[in-house]
Amino acid sequence: MSKSIKLAIALLLGLSAPAMAQDIKVGTIFPLSGGAGPDGQSVTNAVKLAIQEINDKGGLLGRKIALVSKDDESTPAVGVSRANEMIAEKVDVVIEGWNSPVTLAMQPILARAGILDITAVSKSDLILAGETNPLAIRINSSNGFDAGVIAKYVAETLKAKKVAFLTQNDVYGNGFQAAVEAEFKKLNFAGEVTTTEKFAFKDTDFRVQLTNLKTANPDAIIVTNSSNSSGLPAMVEQYRQADLKSAFVGAVGIMLPTVFKVAGVANDGIVSADIYFWDLPPFNAIPESNSFVTAFKKAYGVEPDKSAALGAAALQVWARAVEATKSLDRKTVAEAIRGKTIKGTLFGDAQFLPNGQLQPRYVVFKVVDGKTAKLEALK
Amino acid sequence: MLRAAAVAALVVLAFFLPRLLGGTSVVYSTLTTIAIFAVMCYGVDVVLSYLGEVSLGHTLFWAIGGYTAANLSVKYGLNGWSTAFATIVLSIAAAAFLGAVTLRTREFVFSLVTYAAAVVAYEIAFNWEAIGGSDGIVGISALKLPFGVATYTGATQEELWPIAFALLLATLAFIERFRRSKLGTTALMVQMNPPLAASLGVDPRKVRLAVFVISAPITGLAGWLYAYQRAYVGPDMFETYFLVMMLTAVVLVGRRVLIGPLIGTAILIVQQNLLSLGGDWNKIILGSVLALVLIFWPAGLIGLFRRFVKSNA
Repeated sequence: MSKSIKLAIALLLGLSAPAMAQDIKVGTIFPLSGGAGPDGQSVTNAVKLAIQEINDKGGLLGRKIALVSKDDESTPAVGVSRANEMIAEKVDVVIEGWNSPVTLAMQPILARAGILDITAVSKSDLILAGETNPLAIRINSSNGFDAGVIAKYVAETLKAKKVAFLTQNDVYGNGFQAAVEAEFKKLNFAGEVTTTEKFAFKDTDFRVQLTNLKTANPDAIIVTNSSNSSGLPAMVEQYRQADLKSAFVGAVGIMLPTVFKVAGVANDGIVSADIYFWDLPPFNAIPESNSFVTAFKKAYGVEPDKSAALGAAALQVWARAVEATKSLDRKTVAEAIRGKTIKGTLFGDAQFLPNGQLQPRYVVFKVVDGKTAKLEALK
Repeated sequence: MLRAAAVAALVVLAFFLPRLLGGTSVVYSTLTTIAIFAVMCYGVDVVLSYLGEVSLGHTLFWAIGGYTAANLSVKYGLNGWSTAFATIVLSIAAAAFLGAVTLRTREFVFSLVTYAAAVVAYEIAFNWEAIGGSDGIVGISALKLPFGVATYTGATQEELWPIAFALLLATLAFIERFRRSKLGTTALMVQMNPPLAASLGVDPRKVRLAVFVISAPITGLAGWLYAYQRAYVGPDMFETYFLVMMLTAVVLVGRRVLIGPLIGTAILIVQQNLLSLGGDWNKIILGSVLALVLIFWPAGLIGLFRRFVKSNA
């Protein structure tokens, strides 16, 4: 072999191999197929954009970030396989979680392998219990906080005297109601809960419950309904038909685009809360949020919803912590996030509690025009 | 003698297979999963191959194993032997009840009733907070199997592999014995030649019940080990993912072939993990394979192979 060929090979190896090896690997595990597929793709796309933004500015710790994206198929058993594959690929962090059971199944696998795991969307309280992952971090709000903001609105802003619950009869609905009632007690709520009506997740006919509620005529009805494509729009329509005078207060996060698409103007006047709106204050005054929204619209042709924002925020939080600690070590990075404040994310200054939960900033809103999903932030 | 030696050599080789394949944690976890899922499938195999019935309710026994291991180890700190014993008792009890209820049903109705039982059990597991509710149970500690003074701990995939391997081996030995036992041969006779069975004074209902009851703890113990492997148990154990896996793995290679379900499981897991075409496509493939095999080659890959050999001969 001639010298020049040897040199060329050495150069090639020298240029390509180490450059590839130096990439920092970020793994994402979300449902990319099936019913939740579009949601998971949107979150993954958001992470991809957030990575691109960092790479365009020269990367992280002087290295480029590469994305490894996998599909958990909304199935815990599949999620576990994907988590094992992430371990094999030696990723530096995994951003995961649309369904709580999938997150709960993957957590111990990643924790045992010493891989940092950030939960973007899954809401179960068990995720932060510390039993499966002592260094858990979550971006989405918890049910406890969600209940707090709703209870506060009903008790202090609305000053309701008589309150009713229209509750989905499962762990989600009953758990939320119990949490709101506990918050009422903490707030020394002067009013009382007069009526509780329940229904099943798959129900689409609520006329019996609504008739009972009309008779009871409370000042506010607190509604949990996670069937956003059929059950909730039907409930909103029937609520208007029954001509109830009580305020419809929706639990945090239930007013998704499908509800507006299906029930349209019937949504007018509904009050609810959520933790991210690209076009409402305080988020429309945060530069990181605005630049993310512009990039997202340009790349995918739609505005980012809350879950997309959660995905991008997860990546930003991790990247800022890596930058600050100059480390990719799971424990070092996690400890720089848990109980600390991370500046410069699309949520503004992201403040984390000691258990790894991001302190959410809620926007309580009223639907002004259900047809165009126009909202107005309430003070 | 020679055959025994060959089997022993094969067993030893199989035990060291993960190391031969590189010994990485992914290899260990994939092979452990294949072993556990194969045991899960053998429960269905017993019912399908020897009773000729399709049980759509074996996810119930799978879940009983998982929930028993999870609840007893998390809440009462019981070791692996106790949770395994409880799994066997509970799955036999559930199978005896379900078997007695379905004693007079055949084919379609049998499948439907067993499916209904699994759906009811799913709803209970999903809504009953005391056993985990919709969130399931987290924090299942490592599997502990005390042997006298020493205790074997299965925390990592490498440590779980010998246990999964032993469980698979025990299951294979059990099935092999069952095939040659009086119950096994009688069951086959009841399925293939009911008049003959009747003329010999066999009570088909007794045989059906016995076979169904025997099948339950096999799938149950697989669920038991799966709980420790995953460290999390939830209502997803009732998912069709597992049901389709059980049925496809059994019919893919061919019924009444001892290592059929094992090979079927291995093919399916390898396809999903190494040759995956994405979630939607994997499901389409799995469903199509099941349908195609049932329609065109009811005897499975073995049947296809035999037909091929015959036509060439």
